[in-house]
Amino acid sequence: MSTMSRRRFVTTSTTGLAGILAARVAPAVGQTREITYLCWNNFAPASDKKLAEIGQRFTKDTGIKLKIDHIAHAQQAAKYASEVQSQAGHDLVEMRMHFPWLYEPQLADVSDVVADLEKKYGKALSSSSETAHVKGVWRAVPQYHTFFVATYREDLFKKAGLKTPDTWEDLYKAGRELKKMGNPIGIPISQNYDTISTGGAILWCYGAMEVDKDGKTVRINSPQTAEVVEYVKKLYKDCMEPEVLSWTDASNNESIQQGKAGWIHNPVSAYIVARNRKLVSADGINHHRSLAGPAGRHETDVPRHIGIWKFSKNIEASKEWIKYLLGKKEVYDEYVMSGDAFNLPVYANLQDHAVLKTDPKYAALKTEGVTFHTYGWPAPPSDKVQLITNSFILPNMLAKAVTGTSTKDAILWAENEMKKVMAG
Amino acid sequence: MAISTFPVAAHARLPWRTRVSELLDRETILGPLFVSPAFILILLLVAYPFCMAVYFSLSNAFIGRPSHLVGIKNYINLWQSDAFRQTFQNAFVFTGTAIAFKLVMGISLALLLNQQLWFKRLIRGMVLLPWVIPTALSVLGWSWMFNSLYSVVNWTGIALGIFDPPGPNWLGQRYYAMTAVVVVNIWRGLPFFVITILAGLVSIPKELYEAAEADGAGTWARFWYVTLPMLKGVLGIVVLFSTIFTFSDFNIVYQLTHGGPINSTHLFATLSRQVGLESGRIGEGAAISLYLFPLLAFVVYAQLRFVRKQDN
Repeated sequence: MSTMSRRRFVTTSTTGLAGILAARVAPAVGQTREITYLCWNNFAPASDKKLAEIGQRFTKDTGIKLKIDHIAHAQQAAKYASEVQSQAGHDLVEMRMHFPWLYEPQLADVSDVVADLEKKYGKALSSSSETAHVKGVWRAVPQYHTFFVATYREDLFKKAGLKTPDTWEDLYKAGRELKKMGNPIGIPISQNYDTISTGGAILWCYGAMEVDKDGKTVRINSPQTAEVVEYVKKLYKDCMEPEVLSWTDASNNESIQQGKAGWIHNPVSAYIVARNRKLVSADGINHHRSLAGPAGRHETDVPRHIGIWKFSKNIEASKEWIKYLLGKKEVYDEYVMSGDAFNLPVYANLQDHAVLKTDPKYAALKTEGVTFHTYGWPAPPSDKVQLITNSFILPNMLAKAVTGTSTKDAILWAENEMKKVMAG
Repeated sequence: MAISTFPVAAHARLPWRTRVSELLDRETILGPLFVSPAFILILLLVAYPFCMAVYFSLSNAFIGRPSHLVGIKNYINLWQSDAFRQTFQNAFVFTGTAIAFKLVMGISLALLLNQQLWFKRLIRGMVLLPWVIPTALSVLGWSWMFNSLYSVVNWTGIALGIFDPPGPNWLGQRYYAMTAVVVVNIWRGLPFFVITILAGLVSIPKELYEAAEADGAGTWARFWYVTLPMLKGVLGIVVLFSTIFTFSDFNIVYQLTHGGPINSTHLFATLSRQVGLESGRIGEGAAISLYLFPLLAFVVYAQLRFVRKQDN
């Protein structure tokens, strides 16, 4: 057996290390391409399993190793911030709503991938392009979307002889009866994103807005907002219970699943969980379209995309994964089907998808004629609009109003806070 | 000194092992050598992040974008934010109330555990449990206990006739929410007080009590004139550490209320996360988290000076 002198060992290892540092590529990586993908813990867990399965097939077909990591949605922002600051981490990341605007300088241009997908499937939905098409460049590839509908206890409505509401005013009338029956309306009025999803939709339906189309002028102080605040006050007083002031994003789902709430504003996840867990309430739950107001019907949408960090050393391999997952129709279909109508396709020609026919209770998910918006609309997404959203100014304005602050003062407070953000 | 008598040429010819062991014999070399790993760790894990945070707080840093220094603009602008002013107030209410309760309850429990009790060791071990369980896990349990739908606290209170149904909305009304987060902080931090004060109690010489008793001192007088003065140093350190930990608490508020309702439970750490990480404004986020640094530095200085005085 030959022996190695210490001098030789030091010389060899130092030379090797210098070579690795100069090439900035680890030897193993140099031999096999490997990409890493960070996504959230999907509220439809079966789709995460399916993603892993598709990932294995991708590796087999292309030779590119794929490692998928999952993270709770509340931790995403912090994790992404640390990856960007350290310029290290995953190659691909799942991006929700306005994230591509927030991380725009750090995201690779994926316009070529989106162009191919749009050629194949038709244009991406407006909510996807508004949030992922940043200053003329696609910074993330639209993947799927989830939108807010009304989830209600159809059995209770029938029992009380109530008509399915079509407008927010109809909901108030039905809500009074529901509360008397012990099944109040369950809209959170607290520092969470569901409050923004519902509060935003009510604002738009009454013709109110937070910031104008120019993205600069704060427009929250308006007669339309006053109308919204008055509406929410009476809805809270006559149709809801104070518990909504402490709700998290999950509480409205739990309330209807446990048989308490009679009506909530939420994607279909509440029903999917109730049905899959065989809860008693599942049979009575159904969905209808989100409600209309004096200024029409506006739906809150949560589009999700896949972005590639610019610091990734595997941009081309990452694009290959996106093309594999979304560009092969049979694979994309398989992935969408696994999400059980929670993850809906985002391209125009795929809107009448087979997943909507898997359960008659998905009938309300048809997107024909729907006006999708994301938080902050009609202002274009920006870091300041993002800060207004993340500071929970809209939920806090509503919470102040329903807990005793006058409508005028609550709106003035919100206006001042928003103006400070815009000026900052 | 044998080393100094070697001629230079002879010293140079010494085998390297001997030279190294000679060097290590010198305190001026060995001392810093032992300290250096800890020093390097502190430099990398404490000093570097701290300096970065100070730099960020003085800049307009936004995630992933070039930034430049803006002086103390972030610190000044924060005062215009209603959420920040509320957070500032919350931090003092939260810390002041929690420390006061932990101090009184900590002394009381430590005195109790210092008595001859059955299963003393078991009880002492159990007192430590809230301190040992990971905060994220225990706060999850508390969030269920305060949950608006399934609150066991309300259920018990209603059953005992203390609350009228449906009971307080613990996490949905500002004063209740602050009460809830303070209660959890006290529950979590109390063992630290109890165990440290207990260690202080055990070290008080019994002769002092015997002498006091011989002079006719009752229970209260013995506590006031013997126990408390002898515990001053320990109490100073415990309060100092707990003040810093409580001011910078994050987990409890983040998990229980997320800073709500209407920012009424936000602390510096939770607001800093919301602004700095969730909204990308790292500069402002860093300024929020460092806002109390001068005050806390002064508290540390004053407390340590007080403790040193007591020792002298």
